[in-house]
Amino acid sequence: MNLKSLTNAWEPMSYGFLDASAKREIRRKSLKAIAVPGCQIPYASREVPMARGWGTGGLQVSCTLINPSTTVKVIDQGADDSVNAASIRRFLARVSGAPTTLDTLKADLIQSRHRIPEEVLREDQVLVLQVPNPEPLRPVQPNMSIARQMHADADYGRMWLQLYEQIVRSGRVMQGASYPSLVHGRFVMTPSPIPRWDVPKMNMANHLTILSAGREKRLHAVPPFTRVEPLVFDDVPYRVEEHGALVCARSGAKGFFMNEIPQDDGSSSFEVSDSELGVKTIRQADGEKVELGATWYKNGEMAP
Amino acid sequence: MAYVATRGGERAIEQSQRLFREEMGAISPERVTEIRNAMPYLIDRVMGEASLYDEDLAALALAQTGGELYEATLLLRAWRTTQPRIAVAAPVTQQGLFTHRRISAAFKDIPGGQVLGPTLDYAHRILATEVLNGETYQSPAVQPAPKAAPAQQPSVAAWQADNDLLTAPHPDQTLGNDIPDVTREPLLFPAKRAHTLQSLARAETGGVLALGYAAQRGYGQAHPTVNELRLAEAEVIVTHPRGTKFSAGRVKVSQAEVVNKKGSQLELGFSATMGWNEVKVIAAATLDLNSEGAAKGSATEEEFFLYHTEGVESSGFCIHFKLPHYVTFQSSLDAMRDAKARKAAGKGAAQPEPAAQQGQKTEPAE
Repeated sequence: MNLKSLTNAWEPMSYGFLDASAKREIRRKSLKAIAVPGCQIPYASREVPMARGWGTGGLQVSCTLINPSTTVKVIDQGADDSVNAASIRRFLARVSGAPTTLDTLKADLIQSRHRIPEEVLREDQVLVLQVPNPEPLRPVQPNMSIARQMHADADYGRMWLQLYEQIVRSGRVMQGASYPSLVHGRFVMTPSPIPRWDVPKMNMANHLTILSAGREKRLHAVPPFTRVEPLVFDDVPYRVEEHGALVCARSGAKGFFMNEIPQDDGSSSFEVSDSELGVKTIRQADGEKVELGATWYKNGEMAP
Repeated sequence: MAYVATRGGERAIEQSQRLFREEMGAISPERVTEIRNAMPYLIDRVMGEASLYDEDLAALALAQTGGELYEATLLLRAWRTTQPRIAVAAPVTQQGLFTHRRISAAFKDIPGGQVLGPTLDYAHRILATEVLNGETYQSPAVQPAPKAAPAQQPSVAAWQADNDLLTAPHPDQTLGNDIPDVTREPLLFPAKRAHTLQSLARAETGGVLALGYAAQRGYGQAHPTVNELRLAEAEVIVTHPRGTKFSAGRVKVSQAEVVNKKGSQLELGFSATMGWNEVKVIAAATLDLNSEGAAKGSATEEEFFLYHTEGVESSGFCIHFKLPHYVTFQSSLDAMRDAKARKAAGKGAAQPEPAAQQGQKTEPAE
């Protein structure tokens, strides 16, 4: 027996890029986040070979969860072929040897920036959302240490006040994406800047969602079968974007969240934001045998 | 109609990198060596911000990024973070430093003397244009002083403490792996003293300067006097598993002490970093001096300046705005259009918008 036989050969980086101690920390903090749904858990947040703000939080979670048999899907604003999604997908495959897919149904691990796929996720799937700003209280309290205390006290009065002021001034809640939502009746979280369309998909979902902010060094989670309730008043119902009646000009898909494409003549056309759903819809129309999963929205309405 | 999606993402990013590299040509070992030898202060700045002391790696990072400083620092940080921590060095003391330069603005002369050392402070900033005409610029050789300055110098603050002018900070007895490490733990507030000093040590020079300058110009409570500015080399003393203590080499360090009169005592602000970077340590020490009791949300409050001088985070977030944001934007458009339609229909909005909107915060940038 010699030293060489006892040690691994030198390699330029660890499996999945992060070293074992970093992965251990992420696992522990993820477990803690799952145990206290919606609570922001601080973590060291190592630097990764990508710029902060470009999905480094999501990437650290993905690098920790990945193994050679994990099929990975990466989306950015709904699209698999967006340049940063392509970059992250290529990185994950490179450091882990994991297979990649564009198909939501075939993915084990989905890292996403600001969209939840339209096809219903299963219990065996994990969704990792990239989070630019983990603090829903930031608009009313930019100081992180004060905001932390407010969460501890469940002091969300100013959040309600903000929504109320918007209704008084504009006649409606003006929050666009990142709609603040109450998790398991206790912590108000940001669902990350997903559109309001996607927030109901988190409520009592089958899948686990981990939301990770690398730059801000916080992660939180929505475990399966957990209540996620957008903050609303009893007499002012929650409203998703009015995309239910829109039709995708490319695929003919109807009743999903759309990208608006300005046209030369001053009008707009629309295309389905979940790019792979659009591709599958076209293939199916062309007579190919394609498996289309059940969708959360049916005929433009969130299924009860 | 077949779906003709833009599936060019992978190819596009590959080609864009090639285009970037084509401008700079090949990265040869000679180029890296030349950068290391010709630009020690740039190397020092990058090593400090990366908190990784390795001149060769720093030169390589600069070569690889074409001198894009934020990118170079990120390359080094990403490399550093995966490296094992083999040992923790013994504490470095001020009086133990191999000192090249040490000046004090507080006294005309100080024990150990004012040691000017290497500096461009009194150089006339005139471009040596003759070099562009084919001449070589060579500074005349240094004439050694008749009596060499002592290599080790006492601390000015120690003299002031002895003379009851300031209360010396309590020596921190924490050793080895018990020392909080901001690269392995999240930064929380109020920050641990070690985390504050570590964060300032690896802060981005320009960011520290901007906020430090704001404090110096009057947005702070305290006016700094440079008690001591020191450029030195520190022995990295580590303990072998057998127990032998040995020097693993010397690293260049800078440190600044600034003081301000507070009642009958002086209060002290301190900063140190790896590499020689005087602007950074003076500005950082100014922030440290001003942080006690600073108002929440002011530029001299610890949470404010530590978050906003972290260069890898701030530069990354700034350039992330280049990423597509059309989903978020679409979501806002939907709310805006609906509010507009309501207004046109004369329902909902009870107050005129413009005045009411003033001072109202919108969603933060994401």
